Amino acid sequence: MTRSLLWKVIIILAVLVGFAAAIIPTADNPEPIRRGLDLKGGTHLVMRVNVGDAVRLETDQGSEMLKAQAKKANLPIPTTRRVNDTTFIAMLPPDTPTTEYERIAKDYLGSFDVSRTPDGAMQFKMKTAVQTALERDTITHTVETIDNRVNALGVTEPYIATEGANRLVIELPGVDDPARVKDIIKTTAQLQFRLVEGEPGSTPEAAMTNVPANMKTEVEVLPGTREDALGRSAGVEYYAIRKTVPVTGTDLKNAKASKSQMGQPNVAFSLTPDGARKFGDLTGQNIKRRLAIVLDNKVISAPVINSQINESGVIEGSFTPQQVADLSLQLRSGSLPASLTTLEERTVGPSLGRDSIRQGVLASLIGFIALILAVLLFYKGAGVNAVLALLLNLVILLGMMALFHATLTLPGIAGIILTLGMAIDSNVLVFERIREELRDGKMVRAAIENGFSRAFGTIIDTHMTTIISALFLFQFGTGPIKGFAVTLLIGLFASVFTAFFVSRVIFDVMYKSQNRPTEMSI
Amino acid sequence: MQIFVNSKYDFVKWRFYAVSFSVLFMLLGLAMFLKHGVNWGIDFAGGATITLRFKDAVPMDRLRADLTSASIQQYGKADDHAVLIRLPELNKETDYAGQVVAKLNADLNPQTTTKLDLNFHGKDRLTELLAAADPDAKGTSPAARDYYKNIAQNIVTHRSELGVYTNMAQVTSTPGVTTRIAAFLNDKCFLGAFNVLDQETVGPQVGHDLQQKAILAVVLSTLAMGLYLWIRFDLMFGASAIVCIVHDVLMSLAFLMMINGEFSLNIVAALLLIVGFSINDTVVMYDRVRENRRKLKTRMNLEEQLNLAMNQTLSRTILTSGSVVIVLVALILFGGKVIHEFAWILLIGVLAGTYSTVTIVPAVAIAWNNMTGRKHDLAGPANRPTRVETKQDVPPAQRKRRAG
Repeated sequence: MTRSLLWKVIIILAVLVGFAAAIIPTADNPEPIRRGLDLKGGTHLVMRVNVGDAVRLETDQGSEMLKAQAKKANLPIPTTRRVNDTTFIAMLPPDTPTTEYERIAKDYLGSFDVSRTPDGAMQFKMKTAVQTALERDTITHTVETIDNRVNALGVTEPYIATEGANRLVIELPGVDDPARVKDIIKTTAQLQFRLVEGEPGSTPEAAMTNVPANMKTEVEVLPGTREDALGRSAGVEYYAIRKTVPVTGTDLKNAKASKSQMGQPNVAFSLTPDGARKFGDLTGQNIKRRLAIVLDNKVISAPVINSQINESGVIEGSFTPQQVADLSLQLRSGSLPASLTTLEERTVGPSLGRDSIRQGVLASLIGFIALILAVLLFYKGAGVNAVLALLLNLVILLGMMALFHATLTLPGIAGIILTLGMAIDSNVLVFERIREELRDGKMVRAAIENGFSRAFGTIIDTHMTTIISALFLFQFGTGPIKGFAVTLLIGLFASVFTAFFVSRVIFDVMYKSQNRPTEMSI
Repeated sequence: MQIFVNSKYDFVKWRFYAVSFSVLFMLLGLAMFLKHGVNWGIDFAGGATITLRFKDAVPMDRLRADLTSASIQQYGKADDHAVLIRLPELNKETDYAGQVVAKLNADLNPQTTTKLDLNFHGKDRLTELLAAADPDAKGTSPAARDYYKNIAQNIVTHRSELGVYTNMAQVTSTPGVTTRIAAFLNDKCFLGAFNVLDQETVGPQVGHDLQQKAILAVVLSTLAMGLYLWIRFDLMFGASAIVCIVHDVLMSLAFLMMINGEFSLNIVAALLLIVGFSINDTVVMYDRVRENRRKLKTRMNLEEQLNLAMNQTLSRTILTSGSVVIVLVALILFGGKVIHEFAWILLIGVLAGTYSTVTIVPAVAIAWNNMTGRKHDLAGPANRPTRVETKQDVPPAQRKRRAG
């Protein structure tokens, strides 16, 4: 064996050992090749972030700000009306000079463009740059929140990514209770502490009867659960709640599941220093009044404030232990800035994944063995060469998948098999050329040499065409199909290496040692 | 074993029969298409599918009554008690499958409001329940929680091995379940009617997007392939390669129509693969034509050139297609439901690819050549004073010089 040949053999063995090491499971890495959701079980979700929610909220806060500042400056308070997500109109009382309001708009409502409507009202439209930034922040914030929640649930290796302008792709391997997980992800969990006006009533109208006349426009009616004497839920009750929101979920430092003295599950929370100050003011100034705890526009409970509360408190309601655990998780991980709409869901239960993998592996093994037998039958000695190259191809393919953290999906298994078919094609092209050369009376070594060099261009062409289609598959495919495309691409590169380099070296080792080989088993 | 050594089939002669056959096959597919339309899978049509495994016989009447618009089929073997439910598209974005499962759960498992369903819920809820009740008196430490979590995990894993729990004895025989826990489970939990094997929802928007993407992917990759071959070879080859790809894809689609198969994302993946793979035979053949042109000594028209190249590459074509077919047949026979249609379409595509290489491609190339003034009828000494020998004319003894 010559020196350069020896080096080539060493390179091949190194590749073999290196990739084989990557696919052998170890204690640190029990699953070197990640299985896709279709094999492992889990949930794939595509959701739309309704960014309009956040924009609308910003617009509403703008109109509240205008009114608050007008009140502070002792100006008549304008009535406001939201026209769409980004625009609201402020109707000024007749005969009011507008300069003062324009000053407020300039100082406090910088994110809005101000114009006049034909009938003299002021129109506030959110600046496009502000809206774009807000939408972007909403998406980022949503991803972070979902990430927090998913991690708190203990899902291993979750995948969350944005897709297009306002879509999220969420992959949760191994989830065994998709209904609960979806619930936890989707709940916006916007917590608010707001004052109640009047007393709760059994209809929205009843709730409004005890509201003082000057407060009628400052409240909205929200539903809540009525509780009987034992704290069990008994129908719906309505509350007139002030529109201003002094303290929200973002002021919370922590929330955890707890129990009341009666053993009723509740959520204990503590506040950030800033939140504690706000909460202290709110509770200190409103003793003996009802404070509503509002979650996603539903009144959870509305206890009477007995004394000033600063740092911590509890949220009580008719909760089950599970609800308390979920709610405290959601509050800890923050509220979503916008609601989510499910566009797509694919959930595979673990038992189905188990069946699929069994069948997929069985079919692939049978196909693989049949392929090996066919190659040996056709090419005898050279067939052994092809089989060795094929096995190395398989090791490289799986090893690369492990190193790149590619995901093995069910179509991916089919992709592996197909790649092996492609690899065999390269060998066939070379071997057929060698046979032709031998038939033409070439010596063994020359035939091998010519066979490889003549087949080279063809093999590059056939691989290029398949690579083109694999790239399109990757670009347009989703989930399992993408996994398939990756498998195929890796396999194609591996097949060029094994068909040219490895097979060639094997032939060289077999025939170069002989002085003038005259017989070739092909 | 060698096959087709020195074969001299006149492939070009058969091209009209082949074109007629392909056209007939496609027309048959078209007729099926006109009759049934496309059986779009939920990937494209939108809607939902749910696979449920019941612990007892499937309550088919209840399901039909509950889900009036759904199609409900048996899934797997009869004694698996499993069904596949397909729900038609809703015109709004919602968690469709989840809502239907919740509805079935409320109808078929009325106990679910007071007890925990061990065939439905995951380990977290069971952990919560066990840790709160603490039947083994482990206290409230994190270690105690882990203890119960571990048991809950075992119970859920055992369920997925079985597919569905059919009786409580299966639950209580799970490793880690003590007598006290068993008593607690018997008291506070129950076995619901079904376990959800999988559920899928595709909203109208995603379905529409996927449809567009799929069409775009197939069309663009076909064009990209034609472009590559045009650059690598020439315009005639590029054009006939595109016709060949379109032919193979249409043949596969015609077959899909004939078996009334479901048009799903996996089928699109199969079509894209056909675009990439079935063209290989054509590429190999063209490579040979080009190589021959450089070496030929006698003058040959395009028909002869094509016949020569096809015969030279015939055994490679058969062997390669044969090995892929072997693998695909294995996938069809043993691969299970998910791979099944995918493998069938690939098989038809690969067969069509091989067949079109020796029939459709020459037909197009010859027609192109006839229409463009037979510019491709070249090769040979008349326009190329070449020193390169050909196989036919040079005795073996002289050829050794060129070796290597």
